[in-house]
Amino acid sequence: MTQALRTLPATRAKDTRPKLRIFEFKSDIPASWRLTLGVAVWVLFFAIWQIAAWSGVMPAILLPGPGKVLTALYTLFTEQGFLGDVLISVWRVMFSFALACAVAVPLGILMGAFKSVEAFFSPFVSAWRYLPAPSFIPLLLMWFGAGDAQKLALLFIGVIWFLITLIADHTKAVPKDLINTSVTLGGSRWQVLRTVVVPAALPNIVIAMRQMLAVSWTYLVIAEITAADAGIGAMMMRAKRFLHVDQIMAGILVIGLLGLIFDYLLRALHRRAFQYLDEYS
Amino acid sequence: MQSSTILSVQNVCKTFPTRGGGVEALRDVSFSVARNELCVLLGPSGCGKSTLLNIVAGLHTPTSGTLSLEGRPIHGPARERGMVFQSYTSFPWLTVLENVEYGMKLNGIPKAERRERALHYIDLVHLTKFRDAYPKTLSGGMKQRVAIARTLANAPEILLMDEPYGALDAETRWHMQEMLLDIMRTTQTTILLVTHDIQEAIFLADRIVFLSAHPGRLKTILELDFKKGKEIRSKEDLVELEGYPECEREIMHLMRNEAKQEEDA
Ligand SMILES: Nc1ncnc2c1ncn2[C@@H]1O[C@H](COP(=O)(O)OP(=O)(O)O)[C@@H](O)[C@H]1O
Ligand SMILES: [Mg+2]
Repeated sequence: MTQALRTLPATRAKDTRPKLRIFEFKSDIPASWRLTLGVAVWVLFFAIWQIAAWSGVMPAILLPGPGKVLTALYTLFTEQGFLGDVLISVWRVMFSFALACAVAVPLGILMGAFKSVEAFFSPFVSAWRYLPAPSFIPLLLMWFGAGDAQKLALLFIGVIWFLITLIADHTKAVPKDLINTSVTLGGSRWQVLRTVVVPAALPNIVIAMRQMLAVSWTYLVIAEITAADAGIGAMMMRAKRFLHVDQIMAGILVIGLLGLIFDYLLRALHRRAFQYLDEYS
Repeated sequence: MQSSTILSVQNVCKTFPTRGGGVEALRDVSFSVARNELCVLLGPSGCGKSTLLNIVAGLHTPTSGTLSLEGRPIHGPARERGMVFQSYTSFPWLTVLENVEYGMKLNGIPKAERRERALHYIDLVHLTKFRDAYPKTLSGGMKQRVAIARTLANAPEILLMDEPYGALDAETRWHMQEMLLDIMRTTQTTILLVTHDIQEAIFLADRIVFLSAHPGRLKTILELDFKKGKEIRSKEDLVELEGYPECEREIMHLMRNEAKQEEDA
């Protein structure tokens, strides 16, 4: 050691471990708490529902308890061929969504990557985004009748414009330096698009799809309630005619469950496909 | 000296068009870089260093002036002028090995040769143990090493670096600077490096091109004679060298004068 520096003996710091608190900004909670709390909210919900049904605030026929709804759900599947309705609804969502993606993914990427493509499509896409899809139902009914084509068209119109915009935004957010890295390594425009822009934007594109798939489910019910012979929404409208509130509620339950399942599947796909991301450490 | 010139920058001006008439970033800048030299562009923040480097890379076009590499005029980006950026640019979806192979793949180098060259450069930046790792598991310094290996493996004629160590902590920065000198010694490389860190400039440079601010003009070119013929491997070697304190003081004066003129203006 030189004269200019003086060393001091090290002192040990006291162990002050923070204690666990329930309300703490942005800090993580144990996984077991998360599970317990997640289950608790549902237990509470069913309890309140059951109590409301027992209390008689509404006639039992309008507000059946959870037990009755579950029974109705069971008989729907076993005796009334409800599985067919569910499958038709799922098919409608999947098929129309696949069509929407087939258009929106390439178009959105090109709009996000090239200002000229954006300048051409953007005014058009933005205008359509502000038109509520259900306002097209009368027109679609006249053009396509009450069949599948009408429903697929509504679902398609319902998600495509937002999907394009989201994908274009995510593509625009690809860091310029990543693109310039490829360019200075000798990448052609097509190579940069294929090997940098697309893989860099892809994780967020899948997230955009997950969000818009939820919207697609909303439009499915609207489409099936307005005019349909089959599907979950059609079953609910049939039940309404016969005052089968328990079946209507069973329908709502199934739609909710299907939404949850699809969301979970896309989340799992995201995790599997993009393990290299920081958030999946 | 003249015969070994690899990069020549002549009378380069750059004005960015803006709504209020335009920002003049560079005015009449001329200098050249010799083969196998490490030339540093130094100057206060905002003096146009990045702009100048981007023009050399071909990412920006100069408003006027000419640039040439090996006598060929520079138009647009090309493989021969590889660039390492300040931000981390390892592609997160590729492993270290795939990242280093990336440029060669773009340029159609056959697979076997690609692999061999990538492994060589990964070894050169001491990342052999991490060749199959994804960038998310690497530290900032390691990511920059991937970027350097990737650019060198692509066999550029000149390596451009824009504050490559600006985002690293001090100790990592030393290691990276020492490693860069090591690479200079063992490979035939020409480097044009931008920094605003005076010590980094003195440590790395054979020559310093000093820019003044607003607009960026060539202030002076400093030959670091006190380092000539000396073996410098570590920061300590540099600090102990005769002539170092004077050199640092002189450059600090240059920087300060720039800052003062800024305030007076
Ligand atoms: N794209 C741009 N448009 C307008 N002005 C710019 C642009 N890029 C840089 N400038 C301006 O040019 C000057 C030099 O910037 P830059 O080259 O980034 O400086 P440095 O890298 O030396 O810090 C700054 O005044 C900056 O505001
Ligand atoms: Mg800069």
